[in-house]
Amino acid sequence: MTTVNEPYVLNIGPQHPSTHGVFRLRVVMDGEVIRDLDMIVGYLHRSMEKLAEERTYTQNIPFTDRADYLAAMSNNLGVCLAVERLAGVEVPERASYLRVIFAELQRIASHAMANGTLVSDAGAWQTPLLYMFREREKILDLFEMTCGARLTTNYMRIGGVAFDPPPEFWSALQELLDEMPTRIDEYASLVVDSEIFLARTRNVGVISAADAINGSLVGPALRGSGVPWDLRKAEPYCVYDRMNFEVPVGRHGDVYDRFMVRLEETRQSVEIIKQAVAQIPDGPHKTDIPLALRPPPGEVYGRVEGPRGELGFYVVSDGTPAPYRFHIRAPSLINLSLLREMAVGVSLPDAVVALGSLDIVVGDIDR
Amino acid sequence: MESPGIILAFWVLSAITVAGCAMVLVAKNLVHALVFLVLAFLGMAGLFLTLSADFIAVAQVLIYAGSIAVLMVFAIMLTPLAARDNANSLYLLPALASGLGIAAIVSFVALVTPWGELQGDALAQNDPPTTVAIIGDLLLGRYVLAFEVASILLFFALLGAIVLVQERGSRESQ
Amino acid sequence: MSAEAPRPATPMARQILEHRSLLSRARALPGEARFVLAVLTLGALVTGAGIGFLVVTGQLDGRWYDIRDLGNATAHFRDWTQRQGIDSSVPYLVTGLLGGIGILSLVGGWLVIGVWAERRLIAKFQIRQGPNRVGPFGLLQPLADAVKLLQKEVLIPIGADKLLFFLPPILIFIPAMLGWGPVPWAPKMSYADLNVGVVYTIAISSLGVLAVFLAGWSSNNHYALLGAMRTVAMMVSYEIPISISLLAVVLFTGSLQLSDIVAWQAQHYIWMIVLLPFGAFTFLFASTAEINRTPNDIGEAESEIVAGFHTEYSGMKAGLFLAVELGNALLVGAMMSTFFLGGYSLFGLEEWVPGYLIMGAKTFLVYFGFVWLRATLPRFRLDQLMAFAWKFLIPLSIIQLLFVAVESMLIVQSGLPGIVTIGGSVIINAGLTVIGVRAWANAIGYSPKEMASPPIMTNGVGGLRAAEQIRAAS
Repeated sequence: MTTVNEPYVLNIGPQHPSTHGVFRLRVVMDGEVIRDLDMIVGYLHRSMEKLAEERTYTQNIPFTDRADYLAAMSNNLGVCLAVERLAGVEVPERASYLRVIFAELQRIASHAMANGTLVSDAGAWQTPLLYMFREREKILDLFEMTCGARLTTNYMRIGGVAFDPPPEFWSALQELLDEMPTRIDEYASLVVDSEIFLARTRNVGVISAADAINGSLVGPALRGSGVPWDLRKAEPYCVYDRMNFEVPVGRHGDVYDRFMVRLEETRQSVEIIKQAVAQIPDGPHKTDIPLALRPPPGEVYGRVEGPRGELGFYVVSDGTPAPYRFHIRAPSLINLSLLREMAVGVSLPDAVVALGSLDIVVGDIDR
Repeated sequence: MESPGIILAFWVLSAITVAGCAMVLVAKNLVHALVFLVLAFLGMAGLFLTLSADFIAVAQVLIYAGSIAVLMVFAIMLTPLAARDNANSLYLLPALASGLGIAAIVSFVALVTPWGELQGDALAQNDPPTTVAIIGDLLLGRYVLAFEVASILLFFALLGAIVLVQERGSRESQ
Repeated sequence: MSAEAPRPATPMARQILEHRSLLSRARALPGEARFVLAVLTLGALVTGAGIGFLVVTGQLDGRWYDIRDLGNATAHFRDWTQRQGIDSSVPYLVTGLLGGIGILSLVGGWLVIGVWAERRLIAKFQIRQGPNRVGPFGLLQPLADAVKLLQKEVLIPIGADKLLFFLPPILIFIPAMLGWGPVPWAPKMSYADLNVGVVYTIAISSLGVLAVFLAGWSSNNHYALLGAMRTVAMMVSYEIPISISLLAVVLFTGSLQLSDIVAWQAQHYIWMIVLLPFGAFTFLFASTAEINRTPNDIGEAESEIVAGFHTEYSGMKAGLFLAVELGNALLVGAMMSTFFLGGYSLFGLEEWVPGYLIMGAKTFLVYFGFVWLRATLPRFRLDQLMAFAWKFLIPLSIIQLLFVAVESMLIVQSGLPGIVTIGGSVIINAGLTVIGVRAWANAIGYSPKEMASPPIMTNGVGGLRAAEQIRAAS
């Protein structure tokens, strides 16, 4: 008598609390242990790259808001930098500082979301998430003051930023910067030494440095594995070369390290913003560019260090107002490709935590 | 003891128990059979209660309805043939033989026991306020050997389970 | 940069700034309302003083209107019916029905208030407001939820076992109600003061497993089955530590009757949690596993298996599962206060305050602890939870049980004054808890402090080689 065990297939998603959006994991399980895993993406595909070929460069900026909707500022910045390099547009110094301030504020907000949801994935009933949302809320208030939108900001422009921040922005920003370090400490004290959190995240989802580089992992996930690669240091854009900050790297490459790297990066971001606020000069916030910008024919790959890692924009111009090819190298998609290595052979809760530590945004995956 | 409530309870509980057992035999689905078995266990516990055997009744619920049922749950979930019907048993003859044997033993005991001695005043005299203390005294006094043997048996069963799991041991290293 | 005072820049910030607190609202009350409030307060004080006089002079003890212990009223009622020559089954039926209605309304009322209380409390923990729109302070929110749930369609998944799909929401309610039976609310006040109360409690709590399994199995859903098997495995494991910790309590008190256990604690002026700290921890932790609450809510771990065994239930069926969860938490609170927190007694205060109020306060205290845990802790993994039960709680509980057996013999038979024996037991058990837990943790190789390490801060940039250098340098 032969026994036939049919595979126990679990469809995690497209609607599931821990997929952080709409994508699907098709998991073959043996008891609690994952034996095989397929990632099925595309539920949120909006064909952004094709749409971009029909629009002018400035019209393409709002699209990038919707790609990685938790880091709209960084996406704006990435596309602007790429097009500016292609078209040779000079950016006023004040605009560069504003860009740094807003990109770092966005990084804090995004990391708050990432770490909060990671702890929620580990089972905390959303308390750390909501604690960090308190600061995220203030950051979004700052965005709202400046450009009227909280999430899809559409703030950066080719040749500068759309608006100069209003006067009350600076006092509110100073208030936030003053309280932020204690808030981060408070947040860390909730989670960092928690034995349960340690037990859930230490030695879970380990990626070695070599594997991380081979899998072309980027961002905090790469730095969590111990590789000191940060574009703000390696290839400084805007005015990052004038800023004094350190890059945190993990020791083991597990979920806990990725969490801690994000936490430390939040602190470093606060430092960067403080320096930028101290250094920022007066002047115009924008250079005037023609409405239908026609960059010379050519191609450019501009990249920035977004909250999720290297965010690249490959733009090809044929001399018309619309790009000939517009490709986004999305960090979430590339990071997600290592989930299989982390999740196969471990139990379902570990896989969920590993997925949470990659900090994917489905809008960024599917575009 | 002969108040109408007790008599009514006896008949109702007996009906539940017998019907539960019958449904175990009739039910096609193994999990349905399990549910009816638990029903029968609970009816049995109620019958013990009508006999003032409170500890036995609670133990019946704890061990049979609680633990044995869970054991069967695991058995059903872990057997590859769990999907098959209740009806096509592989061990019809042994089951029949052992069932008849048990029935014979129970009938024999019921017939041999001098029920007449335990009626009326004799019963009232022997009716303890609580059975727990007496059971405890007996278990750790007169029947201590049986008690210890049972515990050693269970201990070895526990060890055996651990050894069985160990030998399979191709679990992941963590 | 401007130096003017920051004005709230967003609508939400303005709303928060304009929000008036309760105190400011009270201050704004008109004079008449203040007068009425003052008269009411004075009246309450005078009534309290009168009751206090009655209690001190002992005119209240044992009367039927002695509401400190509703057991007095039923006893008088029983005597009265006996004098009238009514059959003895009548008072049993009447008091039984009344008590049943009492328990039902307690649990039912708790389901209404508890949903609100838990959501408000968790909201406070999470620095947000919580439900505050429906009714005053959002108090009617649970009713709104219930109405919403009742209106929802009851969906039966394709391939579900229809009979078994309908049973579990009902089945799971039975133990949640039955468990309240032996809980003593005052010296003479408990629904059924069974002399096997402890065993009864454990037996009833083990009944819920079957309902959970049936719910998961009959749903024909992989999440539900996973959740059910997790819950069953966890409940089976954690019944053992619960039993052993309760066994230690029983060894001290020498009785399986819940009212005796409370009476022993009241008589010796000591709470079991002082005498048995490890037992109390075991009971509390194992109970969170039994009733599926954080940090052990793996049976319905939301981020992993959606809602566990009740994934497929909709409408009021799901509502029943959630309600039972809440009721069970309260039941465990009652058990915890009965076994470990002195039940209705509070060092003599039970002479003044009705015992059931003290008991209720302790129960809510434990419940508040559950809410606190839920708002604070992440969740264990299934294997960690199992390992914790089998490798940690059970061996240590058994070791503690051995000590407790000796101590309880000393207390009863040594003839020494209670302060020596019980005090000695307190010290020994506390030391055993501290030393035993540490030694055992070391023995099974657990050292958490090595695990928490901050990341390395660097200024360097590079690839694999840089990574190796940094690691070597740190």
